[in-house]
Amino acid sequence: MRRCVYDVDPEGLVWDAWRRHAEKTPDHEAIVHLTLEGEPVRWRWAELLQAASRAARWLEEGGVKRGDVCALIVRHHPLLYPLYLGISAIGALPSVLAYPNPRLHPDKFRHGLEGMAHRSGLDHILTERGLSAVVSPLVGAEGSTIRDVLYPLEALGGPPPAGSAIVGHPPATSDEPCLLQHSSGTTGLQKPVVLSHRSVLEHVRRYGEAIHLSDDDRIASWLPLYHDMGLIAAFYLPLSCGVPVVQLSPMEWVASPVTLLRAISDERATLCWLPNFAYNLMADRIREEDLQGVSLSSLRLLVNCSEPVRAESHDRFLRRYAPRGLRAEALGACYAMAETTFAVTQTRPGTEARRVSVDRAELSRGTVVPDEGEAARRCVSSGMAIAGCSVRVVDDQGRDLPDGRVGDIVISSVSMFDGYRNYPEKTREVLTDGWYRSGDYGFVLEGECFVIGRRKDVIIIAGNNVFPEDVEDAVGQVPGVLAGRVVAFGADDETLGTEIICVVAETEKSAEAGARALRLAIMQAAMAIDVTVSRVYLVPPRWLIKSSSGKPARATNKARALAELSWR
Amino acid sequence: MVSEKLKGVILKELELDDWDIQDETTAETVPGWDSLSHVRIVNAVEDAYRVRFRTSEIVRLRNVGQLQELLDKKLS
Repeated sequence: MRRCVYDVDPEGLVWDAWRRHAEKTPDHEAIVHLTLEGEPVRWRWAELLQAASRAARWLEEGGVKRGDVCALIVRHHPLLYPLYLGISAIGALPSVLAYPNPRLHPDKFRHGLEGMAHRSGLDHILTERGLSAVVSPLVGAEGSTIRDVLYPLEALGGPPPAGSAIVGHPPATSDEPCLLQHSSGTTGLQKPVVLSHRSVLEHVRRYGEAIHLSDDDRIASWLPLYHDMGLIAAFYLPLSCGVPVVQLSPMEWVASPVTLLRAISDERATLCWLPNFAYNLMADRIREEDLQGVSLSSLRLLVNCSEPVRAESHDRFLRRYAPRGLRAEALGACYAMAETTFAVTQTRPGTEARRVSVDRAELSRGTVVPDEGEAARRCVSSGMAIAGCSVRVVDDQGRDLPDGRVGDIVISSVSMFDGYRNYPEKTREVLTDGWYRSGDYGFVLEGECFVIGRRKDVIIIAGNNVFPEDVEDAVGQVPGVLAGRVVAFGADDETLGTEIICVVAETEKSAEAGARALRLAIMQAAMAIDVTVSRVYLVPPRWLIKSSSGKPARATNKARALAELSWR
Repeated sequence: MVSEKLKGVILKELELDDWDIQDETTAETVPGWDSLSHVRIVNAVEDAYRVRFRTSEIVRLRNVGQLQELLDKKLS
């Protein structure tokens, strides 16, 4: 076993790190692309870099230049990887964006993309022909930064000629930008984060150390590359360190969650990152007969990240899969965000994430008081700060709080972003003297960080952030809903292991038939912005309690709705 | 044509009182039928009809009519 992270040079460039693997281990697997139908596509290092070089030449011929931002809107496809690498090879900045869900109205998607292009400074869109009608109008539109739309999958099909040359990266320093990723959130309102080669490689090296990454490892992932967990943990980390990664389609996984477990078993994967809801989904929604021959004994670390970690989800998953070789000590966790490249804390490999049972009422008052009773809240540790990162918990005035006191989590990191691109006012809100205010709240106990929720009203569903304002705006336009009299909030769903979205809307409709139609109209309005509303509470005028600003107060109305209302 | 039984299973799983479900109805047009609830609905249909779908069959389905056809094939 060799700790491959020590080969990573933070003074270098990511392309050079990849090229070294192609030179040293040309026949080793780099990426295994899995689909439900068809054989796996096994990219070996030399072939991957040759294909990336071909993509780089094609991009340059198409007018893509160093420093340009290339938005990649492509579904699960074996050419996505060389294309991404090829963009990096010429010194342009790749940025993976989510392919639009069919339920998202095309106008909404285009509008969101327009906002994102303006904010993030997108220069080129690389996508599939099927999106042509939606994205083409953005080229040359007033105020649009988008110069063209390219269709790389048609141009770059087929294997690259064997032995073809691997291009060199133009001269650059490691402080120059290498990628653009977006913080989680609604398309158009996501905040763009530019990271340098140094930030990424420094992070990969330190995070790799924290998880004891070695040549014996193999990563399996269904995570989308537009999410920091997928992009950094399951793409840059393995590629920079020369560890093979098995990539599945997020859409195929969610339709058939057993595909990940089969991939882990067949490919003997040792590492995997998952948001909390995935533990519940795979514990509850896979049939025993579909698991024949599946063994999870190769897994040494399963990292729960992107949502508050729930003890019940770990228990459920372990109960289900211990008979298939899953070990309790493989259940780890980490705390991460795009602004710090990825991880801030990580549990120790080989040790199950620590839990503490605490009094719920005391916790809501800001103090951690041990309680072993039935009603206690079981908080799961996300581990200690990794090398190069520091975590503090502070009060409303920014003063440090001692161990066991709940407050805002603030972070410093050697892999910190420099600020949101073209968004200085938002940067000022969150970054002060090198400390990033995460917006999460939690506590520290004996050096371990416990994240217990969001300071703001952001709803976290299946690892994605949903802003209640977006839902309220969409629902507020439904005929029959009183203008400005809507509140959206997230409520815990223990079965799903994530939050669900609830809406309280004031209306004058009281007849049952009218109310039923209005509920459906509200759900449809949310669907148009790709949000699933699970509970609709219809209330009479003046039911919602207003805050001092004159707007309905979310926390107060949430508590009242959950206590007093039936949702049907 | 989508049977009343299949429609009922889907609506029950989505906790909807009613919704117009036809052959050409796709998941994304039905309130609450998203990628996360999809596997739940498939499980409910399997239980209701005592059939099992293969993963590749599930992923290929494009609308409710195709789900009905697949069911009919399994049951025949």
